Amino acid sequence: MTEKDVLIQVEDLKMHFPIYRGVIRRQVGSVRAVDGVSFKIHRGETLGLVGESGCGKSTTGRTMLQLYKPTAGKVFFKDIELTALKNEPMRQMRKNIQMIFQDPYASLNPRMTIRDIVAEPLLAFGTASGREIDDRVRELVRLVKLDPDFMLRYPHEFSGGQRQRIGIARALANNPSFIVCDEPISALDVSIQAQVINLFEDLQKEFDLAYLFIAHDLSMVRHISDRVAVMYLGIIVELADRREIYRNPIHPYTKALLSAIPVADPSFYETRERIVLEGDVPSPVNPPSGCRFRTRCPIAEGYCAESRPEFKEVSPGHFVECFKWDHPDNQRR
Amino acid sequence: MTNYIIRRLLLVPVLLIGVTLIIFGMLQLLGPVERSALYVTDFPKNEKQIEGIIKKYGLEDPFFQQYWRWLTGVTDPVTGERDGGIIYGDFGYSRTASQEVIGIIQNRFLHTVDLALWTVFPYLSVGIWMGVKAAVNQNKFFDQAARVYSIIGTSLPAFVFGLLLLMLLYANNQWFLPGKMSDWVSQLVYSGEFKQYTKLLSIDALLNLRFDIFWDAMRHMIMPILSLSYISWATYVRVTRSSMLETLRMDYVTTARAKGLKEKDVINKHARPNAMLPVVTMMGSSIVGLLGGVVITETVFNYPGIGKAAAEAASQLDVVTILGLAIFTGFILIISNLVVDILYAFIDPRVRLS
Amino acid sequence: MTEMTTFPTGDNQLLEETKSDRKITWLEKFLGPDNYRIVTGLLKTPASIIGFILILIFILVAVFAPVIAPPVGDDPMKIPRDGFSGEPKAPGAEWTRNVPEMPFWYKTLTGNDEWVHLLGTAQGQYDIFYGIIWGTRTAFRTGLIVVIATVLIGVILGSIAAYYGGWVDNLIMRITDIFMTLPYIMMALIFSSVLTPILGRSLLPPLIAMITFGWMGYARIIRSDILSIKERDFVLAARASGVKNGRILFKHILPNAIFPTLVLASLGIGDVVLGFAALSFLGIGTEIGYADWGQVLSFARNWITVLNRYWFIVVYPGLTLTFFVMGWNLIGDAMRDVLDPRMRGKS
Repeated sequence: MTEKDVLIQVEDLKMHFPIYRGVIRRQVGSVRAVDGVSFKIHRGETLGLVGESGCGKSTTGRTMLQLYKPTAGKVFFKDIELTALKNEPMRQMRKNIQMIFQDPYASLNPRMTIRDIVAEPLLAFGTASGREIDDRVRELVRLVKLDPDFMLRYPHEFSGGQRQRIGIARALANNPSFIVCDEPISALDVSIQAQVINLFEDLQKEFDLAYLFIAHDLSMVRHISDRVAVMYLGIIVELADRREIYRNPIHPYTKALLSAIPVADPSFYETRERIVLEGDVPSPVNPPSGCRFRTRCPIAEGYCAESRPEFKEVSPGHFVECFKWDHPDNQRR
Repeated sequence: MTNYIIRRLLLVPVLLIGVTLIIFGMLQLLGPVERSALYVTDFPKNEKQIEGIIKKYGLEDPFFQQYWRWLTGVTDPVTGERDGGIIYGDFGYSRTASQEVIGIIQNRFLHTVDLALWTVFPYLSVGIWMGVKAAVNQNKFFDQAARVYSIIGTSLPAFVFGLLLLMLLYANNQWFLPGKMSDWVSQLVYSGEFKQYTKLLSIDALLNLRFDIFWDAMRHMIMPILSLSYISWATYVRVTRSSMLETLRMDYVTTARAKGLKEKDVINKHARPNAMLPVVTMMGSSIVGLLGGVVITETVFNYPGIGKAAAEAASQLDVVTILGLAIFTGFILIISNLVVDILYAFIDPRVRLS
Repeated sequence: MTEMTTFPTGDNQLLEETKSDRKITWLEKFLGPDNYRIVTGLLKTPASIIGFILILIFILVAVFAPVIAPPVGDDPMKIPRDGFSGEPKAPGAEWTRNVPEMPFWYKTLTGNDEWVHLLGTAQGQYDIFYGIIWGTRTAFRTGLIVVIATVLIGVILGSIAAYYGGWVDNLIMRITDIFMTLPYIMMALIFSSVLTPILGRSLLPPLIAMITFGWMGYARIIRSDILSIKERDFVLAARASGVKNGRILFKHILPNAIFPTLVLASLGIGDVVLGFAALSFLGIGTEIGYADWGQVLSFARNWITVLNRYWFIVVYPGLTLTFFVMGWNLIGDAMRDVLDPRMRGKS
């Protein structure tokens, strides 16, 4: 992976949603959904983004694509700064960067046929016209392993897994090189999830796609990701290669998450140390001072409240945001 | 909470200005001669008079100047007398009624209040009672009847219903009467023996312990009350019924039954209070509809209230009067809507937080 | 492990059926699949069937008015008068002056050679039957004009408010609030009477008055529907796909938002006709003798004390009015019932 292969670069991205209160609707504060996130994604690579509900992962994905206007920070696609683009040039960029949504039922317009849904991106840019559109739609539908004969049917006639495939076909219409996958399988039955994941992988191999794969299921993320980033309360606390993060997690939060993954081996549980986090996730309106995780961290100390730790590269490609990353308290069992 | 009230209060001047602007805008569609009634009592008779009046009261000045003058009146620099001015209560002079418009309001408004007083309870309660009973007896006779009623009630026009009432209850047999009071009552009321504490006939009759007068007043009011209410019953039946049906299906109702509560208590203590919420929401907007209905009902029954005054003025194209009445009504509605909205904030917490 | 089947198995019963393309009628394309099902569902509810039948009958009456009640004189909308006497005549009374042509059905149905006043006359000898038959045209005309105009105004204003948000939204909603503070009948009454000296006595003043004060409900409802649809995933997906804003509004948002508005509109026709009749009854609106149900009913105001004798002045036009409004209300109610559970289910 060279610097030349960097497709997406996110620098200190922030997304704060204002809260209005009071008689004249003054802004009294904001929900800091994404509060300073940085990472890179290379060609053909999958970066997994995990975290609890409400930690800001979906918002990160959407803000990256400029579906929300970021409060601060920069996003680059190759060497074009997306955050600096005006409306129309940004719209043109959408040929390259796409998104797949979580809810297969809500993400397709119930009044449009499959053909119209998949064709819409083509029409938006005039990529194809007339006869070509139908041909291209058939091709895309076949790619996601659906029968093109059903092109003229409506979304409600398909199952969840099939609708998700339709969403994928739509995303592929204009040959993107990067796709944000926002919990694409969370809403599907477990038996279908595997099929769809496999489709994701096949497509990635065939078309050299890069993914930002957002999920809360760690075992699924492990299967598909090349690198994994762990998010908590709007920031990334740890980022590393897949193998590295599962073998050598450093941040206490990552460790807690990993310890909660069910393992199909009863004897394993006897020896495993289960880390249970105390308390609830603090509100993103008013995050804890200093290190955000300190209120639930089993090894937090006084100085953790004073300032935010540095997002430090502790070994090649492995980043952690924690003061005690090499502290004896924080060793693996 | 306080925030909500403050914001709601801030809306009031906006509404007042808006309402007065609309009404004034309509006024401006007329010629200066008619508009002179805003300030003087006599029709200008010749060219010279007309010109003089137009000059004095600025009846051809730019829109906002006239608007301001209409609001605050015109003060004669010489005599210091003021003519006109809505905020001072001078709504102009009614040619058709030969009195100040404000006089019309003063005389008639209380009659309407008298009627409204006795209408409120039947208006609100009968429909709800019917709806609850229909839901509890779903698909049985009462329910079917209630549903048929709700369709008829929302389709039958108010004035037709009024005419039918007159046909059945008055024309033949004089059980109930149109108008406000019989002759012998009016003689008595204005004689001095009768003390007018509130100027509301029915209340005063009770306070004077004259039950015969009270009954006479009721005989005159029953038909208008029915006429005003039956539409609301039809609408409320439907809303209450469907809300109640939904509530009865809820798990907590089944739980209450399973716990062994009497059916009566299940309905009254658990189901009904929760079913009432959408109904209560409806009640607030009913006030506006009531004031519109009053116009028709008072006309049909010849009841001397403010609604009839508006209808009379309209049919004779006495526009100054109508507009004065409209401002008055608008004002009343703004206040009552404000009160209702604030009451809602107490009942439904979601309103406060929005 | 890669899945090599050509299409997924076991997912969907529907796909197990024949693979040939289902015939999608133009109606289904136009309405969209979910709305199409609503319409077919509507046609199965007994209440709405009665409503449709009633409206159909009225449409036929309006269309065939010249056949049912052949016009006398130039303007068919002027009710023919049998003289000028002030005493209303009962139904079945002879028609002596200004007698219209004999329509074919009259002779065959009744065997009479002479016209009679089928439903009686009001004072001034206006024939009630004619008033009712030709009044049907007035009802449709006024109802449709006012509803279409108010829906257009309401939808345009509501869409602008929802689309731009911010101060535009605030301004439009305040204006809507101001208009809604005032009672509809009273304002329509007032505006209509203000316009009458300027525009003359005709349909125009009450129509304009009703349109001016009748658009607010539609503005509110389309605005709230648009706001809620704007947040739906498929709208976001369209933006992510690079679809232009205008197309998103017209292809995605509006078609999904318009249906509740249409429900309100169908109920609105009934209300408009009621309101128009009320205005006519109060003496504002069309001139005396114009074929309009409210106009005919206003004759009853002169005979309050003897209404039992002249009941036909009230009953016939009153029933007609009631059934007309009932038809529209039944349709609108059925639409609302079908829509409601789905609306709840949708969000």
